[in-house]
Amino acid sequence: MTERIEITDFVTGEAVEAELFDDVAVEHFLEAQEEWRPVVVEARWKLSATGEQHLIPRHAHWDWTNKEEDLKLLAFTFYGLRCGGKLQGLMKLQTVGHRCRLPEQIGKPLVYVDYIETAPWNIKLLMRALGREPQYAPIGSVLIRAAVRKSIEEGLKGRLGLHSLPTSEQFYLHACGMESVDKDPAKQNLLWCEFTPEGAERFTTGGTL
Amino acid sequence: MNPKRTMTLNLTEQEMRVLDEISAQKDLSKTAVLRQALRLYQLIDVRLSRGEKLFFEDEQKKEKAELMVV
Repeated sequence: MTERIEITDFVTGEAVEAELFDDVAVEHFLEAQEEWRPVVVEARWKLSATGEQHLIPRHAHWDWTNKEEDLKLLAFTFYGLRCGGKLQGLMKLQTVGHRCRLPEQIGKPLVYVDYIETAPWNIKLLMRALGREPQYAPIGSVLIRAAVRKSIEEGLKGRLGLHSLPTSEQFYLHACGMESVDKDPAKQNLLWCEFTPEGAERFTTGGTL
Repeated sequence: MNPKRTMTLNLTEQEMRVLDEISAQKDLSKTAVLRQALRLYQLIDVRLSRGEKLFFEDEQKKEKAELMVV
């Protein structure tokens, strides 16, 4: 599946065409490692030098190439977003094996966002550290919308869950409108965030973020 | 969305009853239950074939049992 969508170019303020696709291959993982990681490392050095270590994203060490084996399994679905000839975001979903934790839907299956990453040049925090403007938006929202749609396609009615990194909690809770349950001691004490079918619908019909 | 193919599935009364129960309990269609089962079966099978093991653990009783899948 490849879908043409529009995202915004931060510099010009204009809409630009992008491609959302689910036929992710190992080449995309290699591209993320080669293109994204050096920018993240450079931003890390700058943030460390200015005493802002707490702003360093905890996903800085992720290696997408570790996930190659999972490309072959039905339990996982990957999405990528490409614009301007470059990969702008990647997401890995697990469509089985995770259950809802919100009291009103506890125990029901959901789609779990296992990994989601935006290219570093689209992250305001990192670009500020490097003295540059971010490039495109909204990458995270486009990917979360795709995850909700996958949940609906799988018959899970939009139910979605994830463990949020501390620097992303505001995005999931306020920009997406997910509900928080608790910090999960089994997963580095990360905050568990979840969509009910109603919350997912509000997010997907709420216009662009 | 990927194109889908249709098949007829023959189940016993008991199997159909269980499918109905899971479907109601989990708020899923019967098709969605079976698709979830297929995803889970493949995931477990691949991980076991890589040499990994699957366990059920009862934290209260401090019991751990390996699940053998054929």
